[in-house]
Amino acid sequence: MSSAVLTYEARYEDVYRHAQSLAAGGPDWLRSLRSAALAQHQTLGIPTPKNEEWKYTPLRTVAEMDVRPAEPGSALFDVTLPSWSGSKSRIVLVNGRFDRNLSEVPAVPGLQVSSIVNALIESDGLLTLHLGKIASTEDHTFAALNTALFEDGVVVHLSKGAEVPEVLEIVHVTEGDAMIVAPRVLIVAEENSRVQIVETYVTNGNATSVTIPVTEVVVHPYANVEHVRVQDEAVTNHHIALWQVHQHRDSEYRSYNVAFGASLGRTDQNIYLDGEHIVTRLDGVVVANGDQLLDNHTKLDHAKPNCNSFEIYKQIVDDRATVVFNGKIFVHQDAQKTDAKQTNQALLLSPTATIDSKPQLEIFADDVKCTHGATVGQLEELPLFYMKQRGVPHEQAQAILVYAFAAEVLELISNDEVKHNLEARLFTKLGIED
Amino acid sequence: MLEIRNLHAQVAEAGKEILRGIDLTVNPGEVHAIMGPNGSGKSTLANIIAGRDVYEVTDGSITLNGEDLLEMEPEDRAHKGVFMAFQYPVEIPGVSNTYFLRAAVNAKRKANGQDEIPTQEFMKFIRSKIELLHLPQDLLTRSVNEGFSGGEKKRNEIFQMAVLEPVLGVLDETDSGLDIDALKTVAEGVNALRSPERSFVVVTHYQRLLNYIVPDFVHILKDGKIVRSGGKELALELEEKGYGWLEENLAGAK
Ligand SMILES: Nc1ncnc2c1ncn2[C@@H]1O[C@H](COP(=O)(O)OP(=O)(O)OP(=O)(O)O)[C@@H](O)[C@H]1O
Ligand SMILES: [Mg+2]
Repeated sequence: MSSAVLTYEARYEDVYRHAQSLAAGGPDWLRSLRSAALAQHQTLGIPTPKNEEWKYTPLRTVAEMDVRPAEPGSALFDVTLPSWSGSKSRIVLVNGRFDRNLSEVPAVPGLQVSSIVNALIESDGLLTLHLGKIASTEDHTFAALNTALFEDGVVVHLSKGAEVPEVLEIVHVTEGDAMIVAPRVLIVAEENSRVQIVETYVTNGNATSVTIPVTEVVVHPYANVEHVRVQDEAVTNHHIALWQVHQHRDSEYRSYNVAFGASLGRTDQNIYLDGEHIVTRLDGVVVANGDQLLDNHTKLDHAKPNCNSFEIYKQIVDDRATVVFNGKIFVHQDAQKTDAKQTNQALLLSPTATIDSKPQLEIFADDVKCTHGATVGQLEELPLFYMKQRGVPHEQAQAILVYAFAAEVLELISNDEVKHNLEARLFTKLGIED
Repeated sequence: MLEIRNLHAQVAEAGKEILRGIDLTVNPGEVHAIMGPNGSGKSTLANIIAGRDVYEVTDGSITLNGEDLLEMEPEDRAHKGVFMAFQYPVEIPGVSNTYFLRAAVNAKRKANGQDEIPTQEFMKFIRSKIELLHLPQDLLTRSVNEGFSGGEKKRNEIFQMAVLEPVLGVLDETDSGLDIDALKTVAEGVNALRSPERSFVVVTHYQRLLNYIVPDFVHILKDGKIVRSGGKELALELEEKGYGWLEENLAGAK
């Protein structure tokens, strides 16, 4: 075990001291949650590639940083905060803290948005009910560290039957160097509510910190949630996230994991289907170039019968970058008539780019339909030649084809503005003008 | 305009010689038809003019208005006015016809030192051209060639040619698989572009097309060589007598 963790404790001393002081404050439930999480984190340590779950994600640079707890960010920004939907209202967190000045919460009946600090002051029952209960920290060392460290965060609550007409945007900004930034989000969609959320992670300039977000989502019966997550941090920053979703019967949750940023970016998305007649989408668009390493792990637990899940991952790797995909689907014994479909496709644009993909289906029920397919390819010669013959320069032709490859997933996003702005961002990420 | 001298070419990977010494001169305003049996090298010739790099030129030269085409990338040739209508137009899922064409038009304008075409103007321009080819307007928003019928694909090639206004159009079996009305439409599309400055090389198996696009010269390609050249009557003769006649004729000539 000891050989499977890196030595880093001395460099994390300040962070742990801070975690201990946090664990000494707040309500009882939170204190015990935090102490337990800190202990879990310290037991798990920072894993080496010998740990199967972190095999392709070298954490050495993260372990070798002299880190300190996240300080409040400055109020002045030289970044234009993204607004994918063009809507004025948006929730902004800077270094994990709800920023009142930068935020504008949409006024919609049945929608409550609160900072975690405020929710604690008001002893919001939602927190005790769900915070730290959805995300399991036992096997995710950074989620455990987040639980020990979050200073604030945001709670989004949709009451029964509430419908949010505009896209709800949550923007997380990481600012500064050598900090452990722990953004925390709890989203609870009560019965029959409906919302589209775009959660974005950016940095102010070239931050060189470690962002370790935890987002917990609860989707109650008949609720319908679309959740786009955009990780667009500077390629100097590190990003290691846990995104955990709990779905109840007859709910629909469609998620799109868009990963463009960070030098090392790792997201674990786990969805637990805890009821019948659930519909789940978990799609991804990943673009890595330069020396980026982007690793996405997804885990679907089909726990009950008659549920459908669809997963399409589109991954584009250029230069010396590496992309990792690990897609687990567990079909529990009870989960008859499960229909699960997983596809992951990678496009390698350079001979020095790397892709590791591992579908992992474990099926314990006998009457199910589960399929998975993985392809790794390069751009085809003939379409490229066709475009060039018409005068489109090589680079642009290549980018257009790559774009078309990724757009198949972005097309599925229901809000047109969000879709188009993400497509435009994809263009700039690929280094071409629209 | 187009000068091909002693062109020898092979498939870059396989190393099998396909073109074995082609000479062809196309002057401004001329239409040259190229006929010949399956596998004789017609598409290879067309692709080499357009710059497809799966073919390797081992000897000879191709120039366009005195400039060495073989030195240029396919896109640069396109900017100089080379257009090839593909025998098998390529499907590009996820890229709309309009988007693609605008990228092509603007790239060409940029290469020639012009500003991008304003969107409104462009849309008006392509709508007029699509009417000329009797194509449904919705082909503009659909992905390039994806799910197009065989005939629509061929007409789409000519539509693109009409939009790009090349100086040299190389049409590789654009008539194959067209019904008689579509054939007329395609021919009208080509004829509308004919001018004293613009030339065409038309690859076909059927003399039928040449009733509509009347060629100045007809060449017969066989085993990678032009074995016979003549006027438009040559196509008629060939249609009547078949390639067998050509065999005998060649044998007799030797
Ligand atoms: N990319 C390639 N790889 C291998 N062989 C090729 C390739 N392209 C052409 N050839 C071969 O070269 C020869 C000429 O092919 P080409 O397509 O030029 O013929 P064509 O005259 O256009 O025939 P058709 O009338 O059937 O269209 C054929 O034997 C063909 O198999
Ligand atoms: Mg051919």
